[in-house]
Parts: sequence; structure tokens; C-alpha cells
Amino acid sequence: MAKDIELDALDAVRRPVETANGLPNAHYTDPAMFRTEAQALLMSTWAGLAVTADVPEPGDAVPMDFLGMPLLLIRDKDGDVRVFQNICRHRGMVLVTEPRKIEGAIRCPYHSWCYSTKGKLVSTPHVGGPGHNTHEAIKKDDLGLVEVPSHVWREVVFINVDGTAPPFEEVHADLLERWKEHDVPLYHGGADSTFMLDVGTNWKLAVENYCESYHLPWVHPGLNSYSRLEDHYNIEVPGQYSGQGTLVYRQLRGVNEEVFPDFPGLSEKWDEGGEYVALYPNVLLGVQRDHAFAIILEPMAHDRTREHIHLFYATPQTDEGMRAKNATLWKTVFEEDIGVCEGMQKGRSAPGFDGGRFSPVMDSPTHCFHDWVAGRLQAHG
Amino acid sequence: MADLARRLLDAHARDDRVALVALYEEAANTSNDMDAACFYLTHAWVFALDVGHSAADALYERLRGLGRA
Repeated sequence: MAKDIELDALDAVRRPVETANGLPNAHYTDPAMFRTEAQALLMSTWAGLAVTADVPEPGDAVPMDFLGMPLLLIRDKDGDVRVFQNICRHRGMVLVTEPRKIEGAIRCPYHSWCYSTKGKLVSTPHVGGPGHNTHEAIKKDDLGLVEVPSHVWREVVFINVDGTAPPFEEVHADLLERWKEHDVPLYHGGADSTFMLDVGTNWKLAVENYCESYHLPWVHPGLNSYSRLEDHYNIEVPGQYSGQGTLVYRQLRGVNEEVFPDFPGLSEKWDEGGEYVALYPNVLLGVQRDHAFAIILEPMAHDRTREHIHLFYATPQTDEGMRAKNATLWKTVFEEDIGVCEGMQKGRSAPGFDGGRFSPVMDSPTHCFHDWVAGRLQAHG
Repeated sequence: MADLARRLLDAHARDDRVALVALYEEAANTSNDMDAACFYLTHAWVFALDVGHSAADALYERLRGLGRA
């Protein structure tokens, strides 16, 4: 019976925005539902894990935890970014426990099986007895590290944990085309251009809030003076992404009216245009003429999310003071969102809440996301 | 040998893996027993792989030549 109720509720989510309800409470409060959604929404799609700047040089390796899975983000000796399961094929020991440079091979701390930075098993010491380093039963070619399919776009490292998703370029062909003018080199601003926010909310609420501009004048009054509600438009591509655009993006200016350099080759649309898109499932992106950002939502639990924010520029070198000012500006905006995300999370403990309703005009990008969630859960069964 | 054992323990205590490459190779070269020598050579090779030491390939070839890698 509970399953029937759940499916009916998902049908209600998938109705047209005018009559739809939001997702039921369990999708925000139930640890079992969190695990179900992890499978249906995060492991079977292209989920954001990290940025390439996390491993800037060949040999750099960072252990990561994604939905409880031990992963290893590494830049191999040829400069390619890869993601492996961070465990030895021998006894399942975790290989790398702290970010570090792999000088030669990845050596398991347990029995010293060694792997190249491309995941190839290169040494199995004493596997055939003391001083005997081979055994016919242990075939090195079959026992490389388990690689997780990954794809880098806009310097974000996306992974498809279960390997079932179609190619990234196919899944996200629409956004790649929409933002093809922005397909230019992005340069991470460095340590002063990244920050992390721990938020007591389900990761989906961070997506939902990011999608719509409805809240801007109320939650971000500082933006209202130059970025009014009527200067925004909705962006919706069902099943892929949704968000909002602005027609009045204003560049940050320094004390001497200096600005960040523009990305090369942009059309006039971007002179005062900016677009802010939630790329399903968990990556929030922003593009503007002179800088871009990516927010990777790390789902920690049904009611906890870690937001990793990264700012990118058009040139490798930019003014340090300007970068700091820009990071502070965005941090202020994203911190202003914490209260509503945590407030909606708390609200989801109200018994009988029907998931709420949507403004047919202002909330349709959020409904677009809910529809995607409900559709994938229905297909997941 | 006692001195070599002490130097090996010191290098392990310092986690000086570059030194361990040379010390384990020295232990292999001073051993009269094939299995013991290959045991030490294996350790030299593994630590060479670990730190990206230029001796790694030569140590591998030496073990392979003895039918041990």
C-alpha cells in the first residue's frame, strides 16, 4: 500500500506545473529514500564529483568519498584526469588516505601491491611466496584498479558510477550547444576562488532553490537594485537541466573601474547576459562574460549537503584583490540561500505536507527538476 | 649484517623510501641465499616503484632474469 501511495504521489509531481505537487516529504526526510535516490538519480547519471583544479599536476591524487564509496581522483602521468575505486584489488584495502603526489606508483599500504597512475597493476610482491612475485593464478592484466567512467566538462569532473549512462556529450548535447560560445579555456582562480558550505538540507533543495529567480528580491535584496525579477527568464529543458537567465548582468569593478578580462569570442547577448543552470543531478553552473562558476553538491545524508564552490576566469592570471572581492560577493549570495534551504528541510518534517504547489510562471524550472526526479524514480521502480 | 639491519630499521623509521631502495639492494647483494636475495630485491623494486626511482626498471629486469617477476 505504501508503494501505491508513493507512485500516486509521483504521478502528482508529474502533472502540469499548474496542478502539480512537489515531491513528498519522504524524499527529504527518509534515509532509505536517500539511498534509493542515490541509485536512481546520482549513480546512474553523470554526477559532479570534483574539479580538475583539485589535481592540478600529473601524479596528484585526492581520495574522495561519494555516497559512501571510496574513490580516488588522480591526474595520471600523461595529464589525464581519472577516477578509480580507491581500493586494492587484493584485499580491498583503501589505497590513498590523504591528498598527495604519487611520485611513482600507487602502493597499497597493506601488502604493497603497486598500480600505475593509469590503474595498471604493476607489482604483486611475494604473491607466489617469498621473493616470488608472480603466480599463474594472479593475472595482472585482469586486476587493474576499477575505473569509474568520468568526463570533464567546464573543468568539472563528472562520473557515472554504475556505467549505464549514455555518453556525456549525448546526454547533455542541448546545454553544450546552448553554451557553445562559452566552450573556451577556463582558468580556476585558485585557493582564494574556492570555498565550501555545509548546509543542513537535502541536496535536492539546493537544486530547487538555485533553479528559480522567484526568491531573488526576497532572499538577496542586495541584487534587487540592479537585477530585478522582470530582468530574468526561465530556462527549462525537461530531463536535462533548468535554471534562469538574467538580462542585466553587471561586471564587478575595482577601485579604478578595472574589470576581469572577457572570455574570447562572445556575442553581444553576453554583454549583459548571464545564465545559471542546474545540470541534473547535482551541478549548479553559472556563465557570464568575464567569469564562471560551478557548484558541486555533495550529498552527505538525507538532511546534509556540502556545497563546493569554484570560480573560473578567462585568463590564467587575474588581479588578486578583484578575485577576493568577487569570491566574497558570491559567498554572500550563496550563504543567503542557506536559511531557506535549511528552512525547507525543517518544513519537510511537517506531517501530511503534500509537497507544496508551484507558481506556474515563476517556479517552472523547479518543477522541471521535480518532474525529472519523479520520472527517474518511476523508471527505477 | 647487523649494521645493515640497523640502517634498514632507521630508514623505515624515517619512511625514507629512497634510502630503502639502496639498502634492500645492498641486502640482496650480500645474501648467499637465492630466495633471501630475491626477497630483498623485491623490496628494493617495490620501494623504487613507490618513489619513481630510476633503478626500478633495472631491479625489475634483475628479478625477471631470475624468474621472479
